[in-house]
Amino acid sequence: MAAFFEVENLTKRFGGLVAVDNVSFSIERDEIVGLIGPNGSGKTTLVRCIIGILSPTSGRVRFKGQDITHWRPWKVVQAGLAGTFQVVKPFRRLPVIANVMVGCLCPRITRRGEWVKSTPVKARDALEFVGIMDRALEPAANLSHGDLKRLEVARAISTEPELLILDEPFGGLNPAETDLVAKSMKRLHKGGRFGRLHSEGPAMLIIEHKLSDLMKIVDKVLVLNYGQLIAYGPPEEVVKDPAVIEAYTGKEVPIA
Amino acid sequence: MFRGLFGNFRWGVLPVPGRVIAVVFFVIIFVLPLITDDRSTLHMITLASIFAIFAVSWDVLSGYTGQVNFGHALFFGVGAYSSGLLYRFLGWDPAVTVPLGALIAALAGVVTCLPALRLRGPYLSLLTLAFPLLLAEIVRAIPPEIAGGYVGITGLPRLAATPMGRYYLCVVIMLVAVLVMWKLTDAGSKYVRTGLIFHAVREDEIAARATGINTIRYKILAFAIGGFFGGIAGALYAHLLTVAGPGTLGIMMSFQAIIWVIFGGIVSIYGAVVGVFTLYPLVELLRGTPVHDYRFLIMALMVIIILLFMPEGIAVRIRDKIERQCPRCKLSNASWRRQCRACSADLRYVADS
Repeated sequence: MAAFFEVENLTKRFGGLVAVDNVSFSIERDEIVGLIGPNGSGKTTLVRCIIGILSPTSGRVRFKGQDITHWRPWKVVQAGLAGTFQVVKPFRRLPVIANVMVGCLCPRITRRGEWVKSTPVKARDALEFVGIMDRALEPAANLSHGDLKRLEVARAISTEPELLILDEPFGGLNPAETDLVAKSMKRLHKGGRFGRLHSEGPAMLIIEHKLSDLMKIVDKVLVLNYGQLIAYGPPEEVVKDPAVIEAYTGKEVPIA
Repeated sequence: MFRGLFGNFRWGVLPVPGRVIAVVFFVIIFVLPLITDDRSTLHMITLASIFAIFAVSWDVLSGYTGQVNFGHALFFGVGAYSSGLLYRFLGWDPAVTVPLGALIAALAGVVTCLPALRLRGPYLSLLTLAFPLLLAEIVRAIPPEIAGGYVGITGLPRLAATPMGRYYLCVVIMLVAVLVMWKLTDAGSKYVRTGLIFHAVREDEIAARATGINTIRYKILAFAIGGFFGGIAGALYAHLLTVAGPGTLGIMMSFQAIIWVIFGGIVSIYGAVVGVFTLYPLVELLRGTPVHDYRFLIMALMVIIILLFMPEGIAVRIRDKIERQCPRCKLSNASWRRQCRACSADLRYVADS
């Protein structure tokens, strides 16, 4: 039985630089996985290769038994895999709610028979879920960075993914908001209906630098360093791993 | 049904000054031939309606979808030449050649789009600028017996026998074409999703892709729509003047559309129409007056003044002045009202947009 989501020997080269080096891991249907690593370790590149914005140099990505390597981004979304961006990419001159309505228009949703009529209601529920409903009618350019991060999440979940990839969802949020978003991630993961917004109870892959918040919600953690996977396991084991400690704090050099 | 229409008119149109102006404009256009018999006036408005279709189709492609096209004359010329060739070699009626010419222009749009898909921004604009010039050279190189050479394909049949017939035909086609394009690009539409998606493609293509929008398909669609309506305009133009010449492929034709749209207001269908119906008659009315030689200079000065003081376009600025959106229910109100006409929210302290 193939795994729900599987990355096999994925490599991405930019000229001579190996940004992602032979990474393999798999995610089960009911897991939340954290992806951590020092700056420049290739986390974002890995995610971009998975969701099809970049094309990997070699290796395979499998999702629900299909080989989705080199698929176009919209086909990947169609298959049920949605991602957010680290550097937010809202549709700046459109109202916030229109940003989310674009997500509700993707064929994955409309093909099921929900026609364009229901999208405003559903978009409103997605905004309600991430907590920025009160700014729904403003242009997205007016939002603060934290709110834009939440808008990214709302846009991703409006396509009803089965695997949700979040690139620094807590970036720019204060501790209280972080807590709120972390809790809503947990709720989303349980699945069910939030008004018109349907949640498949997606598996999640979360890139984050705020480790203390991340460790509370994840089941497993992937650690990347210089593009290589150096640890994969439950958080309490990973934080004790000497290789991970070395990647974050450096090696202990005896003073001669 | 008539009661419903009347209710719509009374509560939906009359309280909003912008809509009243639009209705008055179309009423004037429709009764104009009954008032005046002046051939040149009728001819001028007929041409202005053709150019309005052309300008709005540029706005759909470049303003809404963001694929800034500097060679929109390609579609105009392809429409004109293909309907001309269809008449010359098959002898078909304008009723057949105009739609067919438009379809061929839509095909030309799709073909242009294929190399253009990989480019964006200024590079796309420069590439599209080259296409009509290339086609014009090709047309001049083909033997005149086929494509007419420098003169063009002459002796095309007229659209209708009388000036009034031509006038009404062009005005009605303009009205229908503009309505169709307005509906296709309406982001708030409950039935058509292209409007919102075009906006999304313009704002951020990568984000649109990652949100599950097949951007390639929608860019091709935008080029096809732009080509189709540009082609209708070109074919009508050729049959109106009874000649499809290389002038329809010229640089002037491409840039006139851009000037009209930016003058009236980009990313607004009504702005393009206002731009055409202001600038084109202006230039034509100055013909034969003492300032005849300076009429393009006057037009250029007007455009510069508008760009300096109302960069969003004259029609959009005027609409912002006379209409105000209710902050609560987002309904348009006349700006001199104190309360929203639907939800009676206070409008006195709403800032001008």
